[in-house]
Amino acid sequence: MIDELIGILERENVEWEIYWEKGRGGSFRIERERLERSQRKFHSGIGLRVGYNGKLGFSYITGLNHERKTLEEFVKRTVKLARVSEVPFSGFPTPSRVPRVDGLYDGRIDEIPFEEAHSLAGEFAAKMRELKDDSLTLSGSIALAVSNYGIANSNGIFFEGRGTGMSVSAYAVKRGERTGSGSYYQAYRSLQPVEELENAIKRSIEEAELSYRARKAEPYSGEILLEPEAFRAILGIFLENLFGDGVYYGRSRFSKPGENVAPEGLEVIDDATIPAGVGSFPFDGEGNPGERTVLVEDGVIRSFLLDETYARFLNMESTGNAVRDFRTMPHIGTSNVVVGAGRDNLEEFEGVVVKKVFGEHTANPVSGDFSLTVELGYIIKDGDVIPFRDNMLVGNAFGFLRTLNAIGRKVYRKGSFYSPRVLGIAKLV
Amino acid sequence: MEDLLRTAEELAGRYGILYYEIRVTRVTASHLTMQNGQLEELGVNTEVGIGVRAFNGAWGFSSANDMSRARDAIETAMKIAKLSKGDSRIYLGDPVRDRAEIRPKRSFLDVDIEDKLALVKEIDSLLRGDGISNRSVYYGDGLKESFYFNSLGSEIETVVPRLRLSFSVTARGNGEMQSYWKSFGGTAGWELVERMDLSRWTSFVREKAISLLHAQSPPSGEFDIIIDPELTGVFIHEALGHAVEADSVKNGDSILAGKLGERIAVEGLTVVDDPTLPGKFGSYVYDDEGIKAKRVEIIKNGVLVNYLTDRETSALLGLEPNGHGRAQGYSYQPLVRMSNTYVEPGDWSFEEMVEEVKNGLYMIGDKGGEVDTANGTFTFGAKEGYIIENGEIKAQVRDVALSGGILDVLKNIRAIGNDLRIEFPGYCGKGQWVPVDDGGPHVLTRALVGGLR
Repeated sequence: MIDELIGILERENVEWEIYWEKGRGGSFRIERERLERSQRKFHSGIGLRVGYNGKLGFSYITGLNHERKTLEEFVKRTVKLARVSEVPFSGFPTPSRVPRVDGLYDGRIDEIPFEEAHSLAGEFAAKMRELKDDSLTLSGSIALAVSNYGIANSNGIFFEGRGTGMSVSAYAVKRGERTGSGSYYQAYRSLQPVEELENAIKRSIEEAELSYRARKAEPYSGEILLEPEAFRAILGIFLENLFGDGVYYGRSRFSKPGENVAPEGLEVIDDATIPAGVGSFPFDGEGNPGERTVLVEDGVIRSFLLDETYARFLNMESTGNAVRDFRTMPHIGTSNVVVGAGRDNLEEFEGVVVKKVFGEHTANPVSGDFSLTVELGYIIKDGDVIPFRDNMLVGNAFGFLRTLNAIGRKVYRKGSFYSPRVLGIAKLV
Repeated sequence: MEDLLRTAEELAGRYGILYYEIRVTRVTASHLTMQNGQLEELGVNTEVGIGVRAFNGAWGFSSANDMSRARDAIETAMKIAKLSKGDSRIYLGDPVRDRAEIRPKRSFLDVDIEDKLALVKEIDSLLRGDGISNRSVYYGDGLKESFYFNSLGSEIETVVPRLRLSFSVTARGNGEMQSYWKSFGGTAGWELVERMDLSRWTSFVREKAISLLHAQSPPSGEFDIIIDPELTGVFIHEALGHAVEADSVKNGDSILAGKLGERIAVEGLTVVDDPTLPGKFGSYVYDDEGIKAKRVEIIKNGVLVNYLTDRETSALLGLEPNGHGRAQGYSYQPLVRMSNTYVEPGDWSFEEMVEEVKNGLYMIGDKGGEVDTANGTFTFGAKEGYIIENGEIKAQVRDVALSGGILDVLKNIRAIGNDLRIEFPGYCGKGQWVPVDDGGPHVLTRALVGGLR
């Protein structure tokens, strides 16, 4: 059917691009240690962009089985949108070599019978019942997904790909005279064994125990060690300023690379080519190759995140960061974000540590100001761990990056984010 | 549709399914986005899909966006339910047959896309001004036609229009950057756009962004704060609303579990969630489980009197189902959600409230929030504020987040204003996005302010 659609498009005097997708997913939700909600969903569809006379039209159609008449109407409708549209069209990419990225597809996820996945979720629930005590309530979820997708355009791009994914989450609430809660989340490209599910439960329980003991800490200003999940929130505020559309439209702090934003040791990379990376892809949503793009090196901004459109508007080269599904036009997004390992040993750090924060969407990406609630932190003093929570972690994202004075050697992964622990100056209120 | 009804009945018999419900929806939507006078997106789309839930002591769910797969989706959901046999119960009730339509004065489907584009361009040009580095305008509308039926014999057809318009600017100057924005929305038609005073609100947004370039960061620490109606809305949504969603109560995840009938707030506080308010963004007639939407008093005179429920949690907790099972779309399972949540007005005037404050802050505008319902800690962002000293409003301060504990803040309310407004449309995220509205009057309470000073 894709060939038929291409045939119809080639008869029109327009530039065109189609993106198609066919996928399914199974997910399982466990509440109070019982498997309560299971689902299996299917989706498929095609997104079509048409360039005509310097203007762009976009629309989509769901499903991949259509009669010729429906396809012809789909094309006609999109061409008409391009004729009335005032969205500027700057051209589609031309073909280039795409990298081979291993480990994005696991046949075991594609082929697992639903009953087996269901029974894996059942084992997850049984593990929870085994690991819990009376003070704990446990919940969690498992999700498995398979996707086949492709992109083709009138410049000769034609790529197809496939990928699988699995995610696991666990959540623990501990109740007694007080309350504590803990959570764990991880995503993968391959099917995970029961041991990983058990690990998720144990980690969420450990965190709930710590949270149960936590109280509000005294206000503090000075060196604070951020664990990767907390650092992600603050780095995210900064990263919003590197999106090419924000730069082009004057919403970013920065207008060109080269600005010094942090001490020499800080390196931030967007890398779509990490084998088995959950954010990896060989080609992006427009058919540009997935790339390893150095965003910050030696504390200096080296590149923005760009798709084809904004790269052309800004007179730069695409970094292969167009993300999309068939319902949406491509837009700029990150693949895997990697903060490079530093030279410092922060594993045995003593002092104030912030592990998790929430509320980062209330931060102001243009001023950089943030005040986030500390979900969990702890102070390490003479080997003792004194947990705290409910304080606010306050600062400015740009200011915080400048004060980074140690970056850990060991890099941790949380989904598509890779980072060591970092040490900088901030305030606890 | 007759075919689908028969197919479902036949398959339910084959798989021994106690209860099922099916939603078939068609959404006709258009959206436009423009930045700095340049149109970024213009889309007009229609999507049809089916979502099927089957219950057998636990839920099985399946969906498809290709109607030729409708039978597969029904069969899949039922097979899963059969496999999942559990011991949960749900509220069933009597079958409902109804057709309900929220009728706008002027349907946006009758407005040409060119006119929608003209609107977006007009707003863009009104936002122009010195010191403004970015202007963004978003317009979106969607008509959702839904057919719901279940194994009890319910057949409900609903038609709900929703429209949303928002614009923002980013200002640059004084070595700083700041932004400000305003959103409008409702279950309404084009008349919502026609009623707007665009020149007033565009200048308002522009002037606020520019004045914030010169505002200081607020002080930090615990303060008396007056929150404006918009911020009261997000405050009550985060601080109370999520913790009374009965699924979090069920999962041991709410600090308000087991507290029905207890006084948890000051006596003057009454909080309502009402999906039946005409024209509001979070309004609907039936929820996604085929239960009629109901106005729910959550807190009445300081006492927690109700949770928000769906079919499952109402059966578990022995409460009336009150029509709060909502799904983002046909491919999502309903969850317990809010609709339009607000604080009932009291009798304080704003001026009286300001006079009460010796050393505090007047915080304005919603920048979103988040809550940890298990521990009762919430946070919410304000777009701007003012210092209050000895009953007088002084210097402007920048945007900042505030935080507090649910049980503390509800008891620390010292004054509730008489100036109710519920007109702050937005989307609430809980793994799925649903349209909501919220609001209230001005409220004086105490919270932790995360300022840089």
